[in-house]
Amino acid sequence: MADTAPANFVDQSVVPGDVVLDLTNMADQTIKLGGGLRQDCDAIAAMKAGTLKFARPNKYWVETTQKRYVPCVKDSVLGIVVDSKADNFLVDIKGPSLAFLPVLAFEGGTRRNIPKFEVGTLLYVRVVKANPGMNPELSCTDASGKAAEYGPLKDGYMFECSTGLSRMLLSSPTCPILAALGKKISFEIAIGLNGRVWVNATEAGKVIMVANAIMKSESLSVVQQISMVDDLLKKLNDLSKVLLTCTLVVFLSSVICTRPREGGQEEEFIVSSQ
Amino acid sequence: MEQRLANTWRMTVNEKKFIETALQSDLRLDGRRPFDYRHLNIKFGTDEGSAEVQLGQTHVMAFVTAQLVQPYRDRPNDGTLSIFTEFSPMADPSFEPGRPGEFAVELGRVIDRGLRESRAVDTESLCVLSGKLVWAIRVDLHILDNGGNLIDAANMAALAALLTFRRPECSLGGENGQEVIIHPPEEREPLHLIIHHLPIAVTFAFFSYESSVVIDPTHHEEAVMRGRMTATLNSNGDVCAIQKAGGEGILQGVIMQCLRIAAAKAGAFSDMIKKAVDSYNTERALRKIKRHSSSVPMDVDKGPSNIGLKQNSSVDHMRSDEFSSPHVERIKQTKGKLTGVMEDTKNFIGGPSSWDPYSTGVDSDFLKASLASQGMPMPFEKQEDSKGEETTCEAKPEDGPEDNNPMTSPLTETETAERANGEKTLKDAIKSKNRKPRRKSRSSSGPS
Repeated sequence: MADTAPANFVDQSVVPGDVVLDLTNMADQTIKLGGGLRQDCDAIAAMKAGTLKFARPNKYWVETTQKRYVPCVKDSVLGIVVDSKADNFLVDIKGPSLAFLPVLAFEGGTRRNIPKFEVGTLLYVRVVKANPGMNPELSCTDASGKAAEYGPLKDGYMFECSTGLSRMLLSSPTCPILAALGKKISFEIAIGLNGRVWVNATEAGKVIMVANAIMKSESLSVVQQISMVDDLLKKLNDLSKVLLTCTLVVFLSSVICTRPREGGQEEEFIVSSQ
Repeated sequence: MEQRLANTWRMTVNEKKFIETALQSDLRLDGRRPFDYRHLNIKFGTDEGSAEVQLGQTHVMAFVTAQLVQPYRDRPNDGTLSIFTEFSPMADPSFEPGRPGEFAVELGRVIDRGLRESRAVDTESLCVLSGKLVWAIRVDLHILDNGGNLIDAANMAALAALLTFRRPECSLGGENGQEVIIHPPEEREPLHLIIHHLPIAVTFAFFSYESSVVIDPTHHEEAVMRGRMTATLNSNGDVCAIQKAGGEGILQGVIMQCLRIAAAKAGAFSDMIKKAVDSYNTERALRKIKRHSSSVPMDVDKGPSNIGLKQNSSVDHMRSDEFSSPHVERIKQTKGKLTGVMEDTKNFIGGPSSWDPYSTGVDSDFLKASLASQGMPMPFEKQEDSKGEETTCEAKPEDGPEDNNPMTSPLTETETAERANGEKTLKDAIKSKNRKPRRKSRSSSGPS
């Protein structure tokens, strides 16, 4: 394993223990190691299962997917307020421990205007401190102190996915499924690197469709993703037609039986309409 | 303390609100309509009396065991049926290890009520010796993954496990006729439990928005729902148990509507469970026959094996003119190899007389296909193959002779004799349970 050329491992699957780079073979140059890699004398070994990635000029890291999130500075995450203390909100970001969100870490935050969040509020926040052995610290402002889209998210629906999927959704040429969905449906989306995705649209049906499409897309190829979205959009169109006729039927039946008595008729109607 | 908090699953306000608003337009998070059930998958374990039910993400395993115990004094002739639940913390972080929680007790009770108090399982047939010994049936329900609606999944797992469970047969013996002999499964076929009807639990969830009812709530919906009702019905529409939990009041009309829907679902699910159990039973029966047939030649066919084999190969030579296809050639070749092997190794006691490509049961087309797919099979493998063939024909023994008729018309005398031989092996395989009659028939009408 150790004598394999490092180039072979780039964009390949690696498992913990694989020696992906051998420094003795390399001309003297500095390399930067990212997550999932460790140095053992002259050998660089993988510590996680995933794909080895390389970025010019000298960065190596292992792209993994997991359900648990390891907090990392500068990550944008979705957190759920668990409790509020005098100085901090306790926020769950799917990490090993709860994160602190200082009550002053908002745009123009002073002691006077402390925001009130009830338990269970969904927040789009940024990780500012992530030291081992300490609870991570969050902020609702960007580096320059502006709100910049951070803050509580209203309405919509939040679902959980793997960290790999959320990273895929955030990849820089827009991820094919989001591009395909966005062409036909208008929706808002907030993706946290901790494997939480929030979706909002005008209609509940669209939210459900987008959320399920994203959840399903994790194991699909680009072509499959696009064809799935096409199918879904076709179904959505058909469904809207059916719904239209259904509402017509409902309207007519409500006209016919103007006053449904408590038991029989109402039930029969519901049974037949499904 | 914060460590523990970080591991619990929590729901956002957004999700709660969304589930309720979506329900107002009859939409659910997984794309179902309010009265759609999730996909149900029933699997059976290798042991009898174990079943796994997957209902969407929910995963429940049931395991049935039986024990001989002294009956209760007030019911000396009745066996007992008891339900035990095991909520693993792996299934849901909110399940604590150790003592069963409130929901675990409720789940056990609901299923117990549906199964035992509706007398679905015949307890009188579990009596061995009145007042002394009865069978105590124990159903262990293991929750492996909590995706919502555990009651329905656990109930179905319990039913499926009970349907496949077999208890060993008992008989009374000894001097005073009071001694209980438990026959091992090899000696006497174990007995099924007598189950009169299948009570199917169907759970409905009620939400605060008036008249929003859903069937089979998911984990998320359970977190939002205000009330829950589990109706246990059998396929005839008899209500076996009803459990209403949660504070939300429900109108009588809604309950009646739920019961009607539940009756329809119960019919569908009892069919589904029966079908799954039937397919499991046939598969199991086939497996059993296979095992017996492989053991048949072991002790019986030692003597005339070589002779039978030579006959076969001669038949091969004669028939090869008619079948000019390469498959037959191949059969012949391997046949020859087989004889060589047989002559060499005396200790190999496979039953070649049960192998005959033109015997009644073997479909020649199928044989060809299987041989062709195998390429050039080793002789040992081919023996296995022939046995496999026989087991398939055992399942429908009446097909054998009819299949053979068109083929036998141009046959010579030797071949008809051979056919008779083949028929005999087929018969043997069918009656593979008790050994004695087979030996007798073989010795009386042996070919050699």
